[in-house]
Amino acid sequence: MLGFFTAVAVVPVAWGFLYALAYSLGLVGLLSHGFTLEHWQRVLDAGELWRSVGYSLAIAAATVTLTVIFALAIALTFRRHARRGPLSYALHFPLALPPIVAALFVFQMLSGAGLVSRIAFRLGWISEIREFPALIYDRAGIGIILTHLALATPFFALLFAQLYENEKLADYTALSQTLGAGRWACLRRVVLPILLRRATANLTLFFIGVFGSFEIPLLLGPQAPQMISVLTQQKFALFDLSQKPAAYLIAVLYTALVLGLLFTVFRKRELAHVA
Amino acid sequence: MWPKLARRIFAAALSAACVFPLGYLLVLSWARDWSFPHILPPRLDASVWSRVWDGGSGIGASLATTAGIAATVALLATFSGFLTSRVIARHPHRSRFVFLAHVPFAMSPVILGTCLLYLFIRLGLAGHIGGVVAGQFIFSYGYSVILFLGFWNERIHALEELVFTLGGSRRQMFARVLLPIAKPMLLVGFFQTFLLSWFDYGLTIMLGSGRVVTLTMKVYAYIAAADFYLAAACATLLILPPLAMLLLNRRLLLARI
Amino acid sequence: MNTFLRVENLAKAFRGESVLRGVSFGLESHRTLSVLGRSGCGKTTLLKSLAGLLEIDGGEISLQGHRLNGLRPQHRNVVYLCQEPLLFPHLDVWENVVFGLRLRGVAETELRTRAEELIQSLELAAHTRKMPAQLSGGQRQRAAFGRALIVQPALLLLDEPFSNLDPEIRAAMQQLFKRVARQFAITSIFVTHDLKESLLMGDRFAHLAEGRLHVYETREEFIADPLTGVGREIEFWNSIRSEAMYAGV
Repeated sequence: MLGFFTAVAVVPVAWGFLYALAYSLGLVGLLSHGFTLEHWQRVLDAGELWRSVGYSLAIAAATVTLTVIFALAIALTFRRHARRGPLSYALHFPLALPPIVAALFVFQMLSGAGLVSRIAFRLGWISEIREFPALIYDRAGIGIILTHLALATPFFALLFAQLYENEKLADYTALSQTLGAGRWACLRRVVLPILLRRATANLTLFFIGVFGSFEIPLLLGPQAPQMISVLTQQKFALFDLSQKPAAYLIAVLYTALVLGLLFTVFRKRELAHVA
Repeated sequence: MWPKLARRIFAAALSAACVFPLGYLLVLSWARDWSFPHILPPRLDASVWSRVWDGGSGIGASLATTAGIAATVALLATFSGFLTSRVIARHPHRSRFVFLAHVPFAMSPVILGTCLLYLFIRLGLAGHIGGVVAGQFIFSYGYSVILFLGFWNERIHALEELVFTLGGSRRQMFARVLLPIAKPMLLVGFFQTFLLSWFDYGLTIMLGSGRVVTLTMKVYAYIAAADFYLAAACATLLILPPLAMLLLNRRLLLARI
Repeated sequence: MNTFLRVENLAKAFRGESVLRGVSFGLESHRTLSVLGRSGCGKTTLLKSLAGLLEIDGGEISLQGHRLNGLRPQHRNVVYLCQEPLLFPHLDVWENVVFGLRLRGVAETELRTRAEELIQSLELAAHTRKMPAQLSGGQRQRAAFGRALIVQPALLLLDEPFSNLDPEIRAAMQQLFKRVARQFAITSIFVTHDLKESLLMGDRFAHLAEGRLHVYETREEFIADPLTGVGREIEFWNSIRSEAMYAGV
């Protein structure tokens, strides 16, 4: 079984990574001339890659932070009701949304001619489409962040609610209160650390997921900077084959980043926790 | 923390917000001429849906394709993951393998597809369903291994040993004890890996080279063509099956990573 | 005296640390060997080695004249029972008990006869259709016995089976086991850290400490050995009684 696992899950990915590395170094590929660092130099100097990485990291960080805040707020406010009852059913709906549909929905809501704009028009806040602020295709990535938020918050709310029960946090809170802790102190010193610790694996994978997100920035993101998956795919799919080494290079960097992040988090605790 | 009434209102608003996207997309698929500044659609008719079901749009075919691919990937990934996680869970170098299992799953599908493309071209897998299935399998296999790791605890190990001392063979142990006990978890795994494939876009475009047309690709195509009514209809088709499954069996949810 | 079970120089080490050293003993058929030992002394390792669930580093095991070394657990006809009854959660009591017979493809009529007799002895007749979750600790342990006995193992290994039970249930289970062991002529090794229990359950006695097994010829020898601690127990209760007498005065 391990042989199968290695052959199917490990080898192809490793092979692909090495091939991409080789391509970016000019060792293989349709237009390759042999080992060269020119592609690396060009891409690393151009700034486009760094802007993309920075943009992706920023969006991921903002998304994860906001998701945690909202999900915690929901889980702690509703606790048991978030796990049973009508709210719990409702929270399951966004989980059935694929990213591309979520992007479509957000587009329909937030575009210049979207529903929110139309409501603003009716309320007299704007008098024509152009006056509506750019919430998509914008450099702040508001649309992208909101879409990811909408998708992830219900999941994490349900997760935190379940963890709260599993980890008997109600008991711990009661205990802390008898030891003299006020409500906020309980939250800060007991509830949050325990919940975040147990959810680390999920949050890490979520961060990586938003960092490498594709469909949502594809539909809602600005022309520049592009998020990293979009940048890779655009370069790859161009008719201009000379961009292919750049595409592979970005893929290599992305993979190295993800591996590094996984490894760091792994070192601290085993990621084999499932909620 | 909050007064009860405020909480009730908040809960109601939150629930409405959760359900709204589906409702909106459904309405959009039935709407006609719904443009700025109309807040409600001026007309409703079924013309979009009749286009969905007639052969010309290819939506029916892509629905079947998507379902077929997802079912295949889910079946393969669930059983492979179940059996593999058993070996990994008890291995002395367990953490190494768990880390490796995370890699394909953590990677962005598009970038994973980019890395795998040349290999798949060489293996003759690119540009058709086999390639998409293989790529999605690699992705879901890692997830499945991680999911099932939690099953192989001390108690299960003790049960296995018990069956052996009672005279059972390995086949009997799997068939009569392990699989029945694991059934709920296997269902969860099947559902989750099915969803991973059902929702996938990145691996499909990279490894299918545009020739494998799944529902997600249809949605994107109609958005690109600015045909939002048809896009909404396809989106509804994408959402409804998972939603039904989720609501029918809510425990299917929380084993997700 | 026939030697039904013969163990010679059994040795087992984990990561360089020796857990069992030169363990040797013999056991006649239809007898129970009581092994007394503290937690962590290697009792479980000993039993699992005999059952074939652990590979040994040295020594010879033979049962009914057949060499067991290298044989897989399913071929040894040795059943290992641990503290937790470990009933199969997806099967009711009846199916749990007859599990071993189903593995062997035994015909339904014979299966029924054998199971009914056993279930009667174990006082489980009223519970056959219940699921394990609906049973008490004592009932579960009885069902686990039934499941083990029905396959008529040559050797039954019990690893502190009653330590999780309340004292009253425990006493009842001890009596039940002795009765059933006699009734079905079982050969068994009963391992425990409880002094009283080891005295009650055994026909032969042994003490396991630091990986070495000391077998006693007679019960009196077992009681007399200071290592077993029987003497200290008796002194303790005697001193309690003296204090009570003084206080009464």
